[in-house]
Amino acid sequence: MTGSFLARNPSVPLVLGLLALATVIVTVMAASGGVSTSFVKTLGMTLCLALAALAMDLVWGYAGILSLGNIAFFALGGYMIGMWLMTARTEAIVAESLAGQAIPPTPAEIRDAVGGQIFGVVGSTEFPAIWAFSGSLPAQLALVVLVPSLLALVFGWLAFRSRVTGVYLSILTQAMTLALALYLFQNDAGLRGNNGLSGLQNLPGMGGVPQSTVSLWFLWSSALMLGLGYVLCAWVVSGKFGAILRGIRDNEQRVRFLGYPVEGFKLAVFTLSAAITGVAGALYYPQAGIVNPAEMMPIASIYLAVWVAIGGRGRLYGAMIGAMVVSLVSSFFTSGQLPDLGLGPVRIVWVDWWLVILGLSFVAVTLFAPRGLGGLVDLWSQRRRPARHGADLGPDRGSFREEEAEA
Amino acid sequence: MNTLLEVSGVSVSFDGFRAINNLSFRIGKAELRAVIGPNGAGKTTFMDIVTGKTRPDKGRISWGEKGLSLLGLSEARIAREGVGRKFQKPTVFEDQTVQSNLIVSLKNRRGPFAALFYRPGSGDFERVAALAGKIGLTAQLSRKAGELSHGQKQWLEIGMLLAQEPRLLLVDEPAAGMTLAEREKTTDILVEAAKTRAVVVVEHDMEFVRRLNCRVTVLHEGSVLAEGSLDHVTSNPDVIDVYLGR
Repeated sequence: MTGSFLARNPSVPLVLGLLALATVIVTVMAASGGVSTSFVKTLGMTLCLALAALAMDLVWGYAGILSLGNIAFFALGGYMIGMWLMTARTEAIVAESLAGQAIPPTPAEIRDAVGGQIFGVVGSTEFPAIWAFSGSLPAQLALVVLVPSLLALVFGWLAFRSRVTGVYLSILTQAMTLALALYLFQNDAGLRGNNGLSGLQNLPGMGGVPQSTVSLWFLWSSALMLGLGYVLCAWVVSGKFGAILRGIRDNEQRVRFLGYPVEGFKLAVFTLSAAITGVAGALYYPQAGIVNPAEMMPIASIYLAVWVAIGGRGRLYGAMIGAMVVSLVSSFFTSGQLPDLGLGPVRIVWVDWWLVILGLSFVAVTLFAPRGLGGLVDLWSQRRRPARHGADLGPDRGSFREEEAEA
Repeated sequence: MNTLLEVSGVSVSFDGFRAINNLSFRIGKAELRAVIGPNGAGKTTFMDIVTGKTRPDKGRISWGEKGLSLLGLSEARIAREGVGRKFQKPTVFEDQTVQSNLIVSLKNRRGPFAALFYRPGSGDFERVAALAGKIGLTAQLSRKAGELSHGQKQWLEIGMLLAQEPRLLLVDEPAAGMTLAEREKTTDILVEAAKTRAVVVVEHDMEFVRRLNCRVTVLHEGSVLAEGSLDHVTSNPDVIDVYLGR
């Protein structure tokens, strides 16, 4: 809590430096044809996932709230930017096709035609009310932050005020996510049902720019936002606010009887986490090209938690490393490049078996290396763990275990 | 006497069991008080009620000069009003240094945004150093609280309470599990603290209570059985019956 920002966060310059270096290397390699456009996109998306993992670590690793709702904020961020991308791009296409007509089309005609194009798949031509701001980029960018934050604020206020904690809170956040997904699957929810929003990789007005260039733009913006997100999270957790968050994680009673409004702190960090996750989603989905409600299914929430756990919770770089390593290894295993392995009667198809490997590594990390991959950094920086003879660091369910802490 | 806290006619039951039964209690502004009683006498429940953790079924609790009612206030609000509570088991932030524990406890604005932009100033460090001296943890300031011995954790928790600058300190069995030397030091800290504020010590151990050398309140079945000096209450036949005599 004391000393300058850099003294409190020695990892910040290192992380920013490595991030910048990696971005430059990938850019140079992409320019010389060393890496494919799709791989650049994979890397850009990985950076967004790392940002989402950072936000997850903020609530789980530091405040002890295992939120399974963060993936909903992620998808909502994608939906918000996707609404503008689809509207603006369809508008351009429609305007072009109508321009050849003898009588120039009225704005209302263009709007109707755009509506027909976008909502034709769900049997409608009308813009639903929630698309009111879809024509404006600044408005949708604001919504990228506002919608997830507002959802987190309202949900968090209800949940924290009732003092729901631990596994019950996790179940509640999961229920929220699933309910939102099921709602968005409906055509009348106004976000094109199970089709979701697609074609997001095409930037409006940038038809002449090849995807190889667009992918680099997104890589740079993702790296920039990840860097900014890292600095922001480091600032938040290294001060007194962070000390209180960790206090809440390990021993909520003590914090409360010191006079701190525990619910207010939880709400603040949950909302901040939702806002950061929304931004991550808004950068991710234009690279993925499509966002639909299936993105919010429970497996996705679990993934987010697994990344942070494998990376090491309560360490910002741990969450980042976890998300990057696991998602890159995952795309390697599921890409189909790896030949199947024949073991007598059993045939190991990696695409299917990857989840088993992931599950086993999650169990292994939890049992044998609770500091996760981030713990490797601790080995290198020679941090010790405290000798507590097997005692945990607090009575609360989210509290640190002896093996996770550092002396 | 100048009253700081007055609890009158408070009752609470859990599933029909009357944990506190028409309890009345008052304490002055700078007073040390020991509360003793057999298991299940309602000592901890009494603290729960004062600190807002448990809501009583009936009764009044009035606080300070203005007679503010503590009923219905949140735990955090009551703590901000100046009631500090030490738990039976040492509860400190084990993942953080002793210094960080004390800085977090210092009386400052408690909101999330105030905490976000808070930077400890030189005055804060001086107060932390003074507190650390008082509780004998000056040499341990940069150590993780989780590594401290049991006794040191107890002192740290008392130090954290003092950092809050409470007007009333509720201390639940501070001497449990301590060595003799540690007990003596704990007594000194509490007696010193009671010079400027009210301190209520719940304790099982008679020797410890004797060393505190203060007024004693005996609880039994949720209400006050006797009150007075230790010698006075220990000669009370009722007290001998329920608690000491066996």
